[in-house]
Amino acid sequence: MDADVTIVTFRDIFQDEAGKKGRYTDEYRDLSARIILDRQEMARLGVKDGQRLKVQNDVGSVVVAAKASEDEPHPALAFMISSPWSNQLVGDEVCNASNPGPKRITARVSPTDDGITQISELLQRMRA
Amino acid sequence: MAVCTGCSLLCEDIELVGGTSHAKNLCRKGWAHFQSLYTERTKPTIEDQDATLDGAIAKASEILANAKKPLLYGWSNSTLEAQAAGIELAKKIGAALEGTTSLGQCTLMEQVLTGKIPSCTLDDVRNYADTSVFWGADPSNSHPRHLSRFSYYPRGEKHQKSYEEERSCVAIDVRKSSTATLCSNYFYRLPPGTDDQFIESIMAALDGKIPKFGDKKRMIELGTLLRKTEYGALFPGRGLVYSLQEKMDLLQKLIAKLSEITAFKVVPMVEHYNTRGFNQLLLDETGFINSVSFHDGAAVHGPMQSMIEAARSCDAALVIGSDPLSSLPFGIARALAKKPLIAIDPRRSLTTDAAKVVIPSAMCGFEAGGTALRMDGVKIAFDSVIKGDMQSDEQILARIKEAI
Amino acid sequence: MVGAMEIYQLLPKDACKECGYASCMALAVALLNREKKLEDCPALLNPKYAEKFKKLKELLAPLENASETGLIIHPEKCFGCGNCVVACPVNVAAEPTRCAVGLGPQGEKVILAVEDGVVKCMNLKECRRFGPNKVLCNACTVTCPSKAIEFV
Repeated sequence: MDADVTIVTFRDIFQDEAGKKGRYTDEYRDLSARIILDRQEMARLGVKDGQRLKVQNDVGSVVVAAKASEDEPHPALAFMISSPWSNQLVGDEVCNASNPGPKRITARVSPTDDGITQISELLQRMRA
Repeated sequence: MAVCTGCSLLCEDIELVGGTSHAKNLCRKGWAHFQSLYTERTKPTIEDQDATLDGAIAKASEILANAKKPLLYGWSNSTLEAQAAGIELAKKIGAALEGTTSLGQCTLMEQVLTGKIPSCTLDDVRNYADTSVFWGADPSNSHPRHLSRFSYYPRGEKHQKSYEEERSCVAIDVRKSSTATLCSNYFYRLPPGTDDQFIESIMAALDGKIPKFGDKKRMIELGTLLRKTEYGALFPGRGLVYSLQEKMDLLQKLIAKLSEITAFKVVPMVEHYNTRGFNQLLLDETGFINSVSFHDGAAVHGPMQSMIEAARSCDAALVIGSDPLSSLPFGIARALAKKPLIAIDPRRSLTTDAAKVVIPSAMCGFEAGGTALRMDGVKIAFDSVIKGDMQSDEQILARIKEAI
Repeated sequence: MVGAMEIYQLLPKDACKECGYASCMALAVALLNREKKLEDCPALLNPKYAEKFKKLKELLAPLENASETGLIIHPEKCFGCGNCVVACPVNVAAEPTRCAVGLGPQGEKVILAVEDGVVKCMNLKECRRFGPNKVLCNACTVTCPSKAIEFV
């Protein structure tokens, strides 16, 4: 089971605070490596709060925790806090019609048993 | 009183209590910024080995001196003085300069700084504005004191009564942000990437035509609110900027139309404390607000919005006061991570971890003084509030320049 | 936050008046305002209401942390934005050149101030909600972006 979604990134003061405590803190990872999905969408995917989802597109992939949205229904639309995790899914060139950048990432989400992607791994991918 | 360099509001009413153990009036973000003085501080390293500060500066100077196309990146978390030193260094070594807004706010900020879009100070907003519009921006999370200090809740010269009676607040966003919850009657939810159609719809409503996009009744309500506004302030965030992209002229048209009816000003919601300062300084020095290359001596404007080109084509990069490996899209971060990096930063980040040379610096606002431009262009000066022996960005850049 | 109706539903609803009120609904309101305790209802102490008594205890537990004006601050939710500090009419009157114009307070007369990144409450007696002749002012709660302040 998987779903195609458009991911919009946003800012969150608590994640910002966690980042200032340290990029490598568990708190920063837990708040960043997370995707907020429509409740119905989550039910369809068969995942509950905290269960893991692989989010992937042509640029890259990350494993993050699912979180049910508290907003009104927004099928096919998902949200991630701006972070090195969301940036893994954003391509080289931004600001043109074919690649709208971090505010409109298209990706496929699917349940996974893999562990949450760690920040050290994100850094390794960049340096590889 | 201390100044908080946690975001581009540069709050000046910060009171430290009991040395540095408590602080009054810092928001959660500012307090976290202040607390970060004590965690994850960097130390001088060369290729992951401990080094002396002198050694790290010497190594950095050597890398930059030998580079044919060096890139100097960051600047939005540096004082105007450090930025000026950075421009001087770029001239001397023929480097390219890129600020952190290369990807986002550039087009908009250029229109504001060159006067194509009318702007005002946040004090004007507090004193005169009766309508504030947050578009693709969520200041409650990004600039927590924006609404309380300037845009919604305070009394101003012209607004002696409370916010409920004399000010309206509008949020236009793809999600119900924290700020949107405070604008209950005037929250407009847009599908991603439809901001251009929303602008057309507002313009139709202002003209008394039937809007084609969005809920007609609510669009007409918004049109009516904007029409009866005496002094409006628009705060565009990354959400709007990324959505409009090459259609930024639409926003200019909207503001022009609103300006025919009433005073309507724009203050871009830049993130870091001296983002605007770098754009302004570079504009004054070179005529361009960002992406300037001195490779062949004279200032040449690099391809706008192409940080990827800068990252790919450079053969060494100095990153100051920012963490591009965390904040930039993967493709660009990867291109940059493979270059010899020099990181000048008070704190550990992905970028300092990947850097060949790490040079620790004083945290501006706490351990080092200077000046910076608030998001609205007002110059704010600050002194250090803590005695420390760390060198400032400005001093470090001057030493690198001297060594080369 | 719990409402009077929710409390009422768990009361005996026998209108015995032993608590001193004419109806269980009136008692529910009194419980909400912390003017009465659960133990003031003798019927509730009957073992057949044990389940409901337990539920009511849980429902009313958060109220115990409330101040005399019913104010509860959840520091873990607070952004420290100062919206409440600037909106509070008592703060504004106490510091017309600071709180009124968006700055943090300097004096000791205010009710709300931000310290170490979160809002703190002081001088409760100055709050418009204090005492029998209270005004149901809600300037601090409606201006909060994160529901970090509420009144019970």
